[in-house]
Amino acid sequence: MDSRFAIKDRKALLRPGVYVGLAVIVALLPLLFSSPYVLHILILTFIYTIAAVSFRTIVISGQFPLAHAAFMGLGAYLSAMGAKWLGMSPWLTVPLSALVTASIGMLIGYPFSRLRALYYAMGSLFFGIGIIQVIYAGGSWTGGYSGLTGIPALLPGIGSKVPYYYFFLGLALVSIVALYRIEFSRIGTNLKAISQSHVVASSVGISEGGYRILAVGVGCFFVGLAGAGYAHYNMVLSCSSFNFMATLWLVMYVLIGGVNSFGGPIVGTIILIIIPEYFRDLKMYSPFVTAVILGIVVYLMPQGLVGLPRLVRSKLTERRKIKKVSHAS
Amino acid sequence: MELITATLTNLLILSSMYILAALGFAFLFSMLGILNLAHGVIYMLGGYIGLSLIMVLGINQWLALLLTTLIVATFGIFLEKYCFRPFVGDFNRIIMVCVVITVVLQTSVNIIAGTQILSLPPFAEGVLRFGPASVSYERIVTFAIGAVLLLAMTWFVNKTKWGQQMQAISQDLEGAYLQGINVHRVSALATFMGCGLAAIAGCLMGAYLALGPFMGDFMLVKVLMVTIVAGVGSLSGIFIAGLILGSLDSILPLLVSGAASDATAVGILVVLLLIRPQGFFGHEIEM
Repeated sequence: MDSRFAIKDRKALLRPGVYVGLAVIVALLPLLFSSPYVLHILILTFIYTIAAVSFRTIVISGQFPLAHAAFMGLGAYLSAMGAKWLGMSPWLTVPLSALVTASIGMLIGYPFSRLRALYYAMGSLFFGIGIIQVIYAGGSWTGGYSGLTGIPALLPGIGSKVPYYYFFLGLALVSIVALYRIEFSRIGTNLKAISQSHVVASSVGISEGGYRILAVGVGCFFVGLAGAGYAHYNMVLSCSSFNFMATLWLVMYVLIGGVNSFGGPIVGTIILIIIPEYFRDLKMYSPFVTAVILGIVVYLMPQGLVGLPRLVRSKLTERRKIKKVSHAS
Repeated sequence: MELITATLTNLLILSSMYILAALGFAFLFSMLGILNLAHGVIYMLGGYIGLSLIMVLGINQWLALLLTTLIVATFGIFLEKYCFRPFVGDFNRIIMVCVVITVVLQTSVNIIAGTQILSLPPFAEGVLRFGPASVSYERIVTFAIGAVLLLAMTWFVNKTKWGQQMQAISQDLEGAYLQGINVHRVSALATFMGCGLAAIAGCLMGAYLALGPFMGDFMLVKVLMVTIVAGVGSLSGIFIAGLILGSLDSILPLLVSGAASDATAVGILVVLLLIRPQGFFGHEIEM
């Protein structure tokens, strides 16, 4: 038997079981909540989960892209325009626009791979603003400031949100598994090596530029996919949902969960979308809920929400140690 | 002729406002490497505090401008001590803290003042006629305040002891510590002045253009552009970058219509950044 399949400890066997169980529970949620509003929020959560996880794929290569929501908008607008003006089926335009978004990301990644750290962040920020301005300037093709309406639906003639729910759940699961496989393959290891020290990484034969462009391509592909799906689900697009502030919120989803672990963006997106929605009766005051969550995480959890169990455990053992010492003396 | 004077005054005012707002951001950025994304919202806060002092309390405009500056600058000291200082060197948490500040201030202004577009009363009235050209006094006053403040800041940074300490910190943080510079106090002073300058810019722009809860987002992007194009640790670089940006924003709309002019301006900046990533003046920052 291959040693990879040998059961080394029970945890390794348990973990996939837990994930499959979680996925089954999420898949059964429409039976519990039939209201279209709840389903809408859950669908948005799936879409933004894809965006946040793909954001992290770029981050592990040591690049901090501040254009990610703009790339989401690029995918959304490309797919919507393809379906609306060229009359193509949304099932064709969604993957196509994701591919185009990825290639634009890689083309831009080539000159940008010279920039590092903060300068990369700033360069991508300006580029993202540029994308949004080009969409604004697009006139009747993109709808400009008034937004693009009348986008063909992904599943025409269906009033219920349940099929959309399963479509986006499937899309999110496939994307998450794909990005997980990429991160824990040789490519992901190389990306992390580049992020730790690009000098050492290139000295052992990892092409820094190539892998950084690859990371941007992968991230842009999935975020374009999420944006394109969003376009044909929402059927109305407005630039303001992809501007710089939208990018910052995407960054918040990732950072609040914890940028150092794969599950971070998923947890962060779920918490930051669903908890403020729960308090939507507060109306104008509801952004304060978000601010409070963010504040708690910033001041108390340096590793994000995912780091919370470890933080609690280390605090507890510390206290126990102190007790032991004080007993001994 | 009318068009030329209008464009020229617009260029000067926009540039001086961009530079005023950018200075505070650039101080923190070059000294401690803090990317203060809440700077735009502080600028917005300045405008609103000025408006409420004038409209609600009925204070004289010039006194209100001074009071606003002091209030927002003091708020800046608070921000530096409790929001920035604990996270110096941690890029991710600085961004999060700035988003928290942005959300809290923007929502508060939204609740108190509403989302409608307001405007501060003009600081001066009347029009100066100069041959065929005419310039409103408001524009002259706005530019004059901006120019005087910028000159004062140049003098402060280059000639005073505090300013030289700021320069030392931006050149080498550890070295400044070793020389016995009280880095915390100097960075608090820098935040104090930066927030004050942003508040003045907010008041002046609130009178010159309009006041809205989301005007900070626009200014934040401009401030980032000025700082990055200028590079770290160079005061004259900020002036030149501010002038470049102001002229792009005032001249391009004449040549290209609508949103295309903004797209062109951003395109030019991306190209500039690709030519010289570390900015055109100053030195590269290690993060």
